[in-house]
Amino acid sequence: MLGSFAGLGAFGALAAAGCSAPSGAASGQTRLRYWHLFGGGDGANMTAMLDAFQAEHPDIDLEAATLQWGSPYYTKLGMAGAGGRAPEVAALHLARLAGFAPGRLLDAFDLDLLAEHGVTAADFPVDLWRRGAVDGVQYAVPLDTHPMVLYYNTDVCERAGLLDGDGRLRPVEGADAFAEAVRAAGEVTGGPGLVAETLGADTIGPWRMFNTFYAQTGGQLLTEDGTRIAIDDAKALTVLRYMRRLTEEGLCVERADYQGSVGIFAAGETGFFLNGEWEVTTYLNTGLPFSMARVPNLFGTAATQADCHAFVLPHQTGRGGASNEAAHAFVAWMLTHSVDWAAGGHVPAYLPTLEEPDYLAMRPQSEYREVIDEVVLDPQVWFAGSASRLWIELGAVFAGVLTGSRTPEDGLAEARSRLQELLDTPSPFGETA
Amino acid sequence: MTTTTPGELTAPAEPAPPKAPPPATVRRHWSEHGLVFTLPFLVVYGLFLVWPLLSGIRMSLTNADIAGTRSDYIGFDNYAEALTDPDVWSSLWNTLWFTLLSTVPLVVVGLVLALLAHHLRVVAWLWRLSWFAPFLLPSGVVCLLWLWVIYPSDFGFADQLLAEFGLHPGIGWLTDTRYAMLSVVLTTIWWTVGFNFLLYLAALQSIPQHLYEAAELDGAGAWHRLRHITLPQLRSTTGVVLVLQLLASLKIFDQVYIMTGGGPDESTRPILQYVYQSGFTGYRIGYASAISYIFFALIVIVSLIQLRITRRRREENAL
Amino acid sequence: MSTVVQETAAGRRPRWTRGRLVMLGGALLLALLWLLPLAWALATSFKPESETTETGFQWIGSYLTLDAYRAVWESGNITRWMFNTAYIATVTTVLTVALTAMAAYGFSRTEFRGRRTLYGLVLAGIMVPPQVLIAPLFAEMVSLGLVDTYWGVILPQVAVPAMVFILVKFFEGVPRELEEAAYVDGAGRWRVFWQIVLPLSRPVLAAVAIFTFIQTWNNFLWPFLVTTDPNAMTLPVGLVNVQSTYGVRYAQVMASVIIGGLPLLVVFAFFQRQIVRGVAHTGLAGQ
Repeated sequence: MLGSFAGLGAFGALAAAGCSAPSGAASGQTRLRYWHLFGGGDGANMTAMLDAFQAEHPDIDLEAATLQWGSPYYTKLGMAGAGGRAPEVAALHLARLAGFAPGRLLDAFDLDLLAEHGVTAADFPVDLWRRGAVDGVQYAVPLDTHPMVLYYNTDVCERAGLLDGDGRLRPVEGADAFAEAVRAAGEVTGGPGLVAETLGADTIGPWRMFNTFYAQTGGQLLTEDGTRIAIDDAKALTVLRYMRRLTEEGLCVERADYQGSVGIFAAGETGFFLNGEWEVTTYLNTGLPFSMARVPNLFGTAATQADCHAFVLPHQTGRGGASNEAAHAFVAWMLTHSVDWAAGGHVPAYLPTLEEPDYLAMRPQSEYREVIDEVVLDPQVWFAGSASRLWIELGAVFAGVLTGSRTPEDGLAEARSRLQELLDTPSPFGETA
Repeated sequence: MTTTTPGELTAPAEPAPPKAPPPATVRRHWSEHGLVFTLPFLVVYGLFLVWPLLSGIRMSLTNADIAGTRSDYIGFDNYAEALTDPDVWSSLWNTLWFTLLSTVPLVVVGLVLALLAHHLRVVAWLWRLSWFAPFLLPSGVVCLLWLWVIYPSDFGFADQLLAEFGLHPGIGWLTDTRYAMLSVVLTTIWWTVGFNFLLYLAALQSIPQHLYEAAELDGAGAWHRLRHITLPQLRSTTGVVLVLQLLASLKIFDQVYIMTGGGPDESTRPILQYVYQSGFTGYRIGYASAISYIFFALIVIVSLIQLRITRRRREENAL
Repeated sequence: MSTVVQETAAGRRPRWTRGRLVMLGGALLLALLWLLPLAWALATSFKPESETTETGFQWIGSYLTLDAYRAVWESGNITRWMFNTAYIATVTTVLTVALTAMAAYGFSRTEFRGRRTLYGLVLAGIMVPPQVLIAPLFAEMVSLGLVDTYWGVILPQVAVPAMVFILVKFFEGVPRELEEAAYVDGAGRWRVFWQIVLPLSRPVLAAVAIFTFIQTWNNFLWPFLVTTDPNAMTLPVGLVNVQSTYGVRYAQVMASVIIGGLPLLVVFAFFQRQIVRGVAHTGLAGQ
């Protein structure tokens, strides 16, 4: 009878609850929503690839969204999976997989469908592929690995006599040999020879450095089942004392936040820079004389801390049909075209790409491709992975060691206690995760 | 959320529905039954306020996760964990600290601005535009504005302004533990003081003019009139403004989440953000519910204190 | 322009004594302080990107450009969010006014069993801050399948008991004689509600509507939680959560800030008096 009944009418509409925000897809097109967290150089590469994919697939309406990096992204992704209206496909750091309750917040890949589009398990390094599976079901398909690498200024290293005939860094092995190389570079520039991120808000560089060196000693962080601490105190102390030695003896810049460290190397103030490979585009754009190499083996075993970008299928109620197929086609396409992605510095996980001439011709991006076999990912626990509590908490502790506000012994004790605290926090998904 | 839900906690102590309905001489059609009028609201209210309130209590006694993998009864374990969780205490402290730092200036500045606007009687639109309009901006807009152009070191507006006065710029407004909370407070004042300004302005305008006229005849100066007429007349408004402000400040979330993410070193993380982190980032909604109810208890305590004060004042007035 | 600083104090605009001039100076300084951040945002949004991080107080870049606005507009997201926000705020406002007015009429003018208890229950709800409910409410939305839908954003914002309280208080003040005359003429309750009570309550309904609209337009926490899909986000949420693929572009961020803040400011410019009164009224309710 009266307009006031509009309210009741609205409830009727509720019953037809499908009223999610309308999509812009034209009829006949399959809507494919893809979420990622890539900004900067990666963002530009990703956008170019997405444009190319869209151009080749007029039947698919690709809607890509870049969400805020780090914990906000992962929070949204988890909530979307819980809500059941998640995007068809999304990017994920592989080491965070355990924290995503595969099977609940993520759906499994259809390997047959993937094979139809030309991608199979045999195309990936065994370990990396296996990290994407839980209980034998594949929830993540790796796109790349992004390890810590050693950037070096070719001018400085040349003058310090550290390069070989081809202009490449001569292999350095052992902690003292590396210290000497850094010292030599420092003598050329008249300051510390090395820079790395040593502090800052939510700093994780110090954790990366520690985990790289500690893995090289053969040490473990947690027991295999991820329930107890397995730190070898002697090995960890060796590493922490070495890290402190680098800053204390003026070999490494003692105080630099992330942006600062990038800038110092860009200005040519140091010969070496320890960081993830992703700044390669920054330096290619500035015309700095530089190249990149694997992190030298200082403690016996070649190993480098890394994480991997991977594709996942966030949980959708009633996943399947054309949109699911489009998601698989998209993942396969991105992998087979990952040479474009490699321009951003990441080492492609798709093995055929590593053989492509285009990739091999890419310098310095292909110089450290062997690391794909020696990368060390986090233990498979729910609190691990990029921008995870593990990284941030331990990053802060080891930042203290690098900057001298903690002794190595104190840092180790604190790291143990923070790690224990994380282990004691009930896992949100029970024992399995 | 700092915007205030109007009338919050200012409900009378006892519900007082009016007395008699119109004489029911006519036998009414079912559609005229009182329930028909109230039911639509009651359904929404029941579904989206009462039900979550109750199911939240149940949830806080379980280990429920956001993915719905499990929901086992675990008694009061979550509450026990929360009360020994240092992060709960530190974020509660941050919430109280923010409330203390923000409430007084928000009330005082609001009053001063209202007094200025009221006494000047000119360009009223200018005062409203500058002091009240920011209140109409979404928190996202306000915080992005301060985050990206006011607070950045060196080229940020704040640093440049200080540099104009020969002060040393390069302050880590949002990145230095010494300043971060103060910066959040500053943004909040800029953003929401307009609400208090408005309430005071309305109250000032309702002060009977004859009080002033009488005082003027007695030869009272401006200062005297302010102290002995205006401020006493504003007392009850101040009570309301204060309570609304306390409750709004306790619910701080937006500004911190957007501008500092709770940092640096979690020095600005309020309790609501910790609820968010436990429940949504960490998936433990059972635990998050438990923390919510601890926070709720805090709010209820503040409201009860307020009720007591207003009741006592009412009694005093009655005498 | 009509003013709220009522001319009731009728024309008694005091002379410009020294004291008042000092006050005026202070007020102008404070007004400037409040306007500067907005002005700076506006200035930044017209600068070329490369000049946004320069020091030395350049209000105007080497040239004025609309590049930032074009980029923001072309990304397409912001128009979508604006539409979502307008839609959500409108539906929420209409529903809130309709439902709370009906409920308030029911509580203040009809008699039925359980009325007092129900009204007491509604009043008790005023004590519950919605922020406390986020975890269970999200879980409820998951089971109702309303995550990432408009209704998921709207419905919890409709259940505002304080508005019922405000309206009951007002309806109680409406003289019954008018209604009783209508009943004598054979009118039913719906007609009385529609033709007598509602028209008499126009100012208070406007206040409720204005307050609800502003509140919903600006709400952050709940829409932020219940929407994960950028297509379903509201303006304040989208601005914060979705980033430009090219990293921070100061001019672009400021352009979206200006675009995001503009709608309500424009509305404010036109309806200053109503908005000020509406906010003050609902804000002071129950004093």
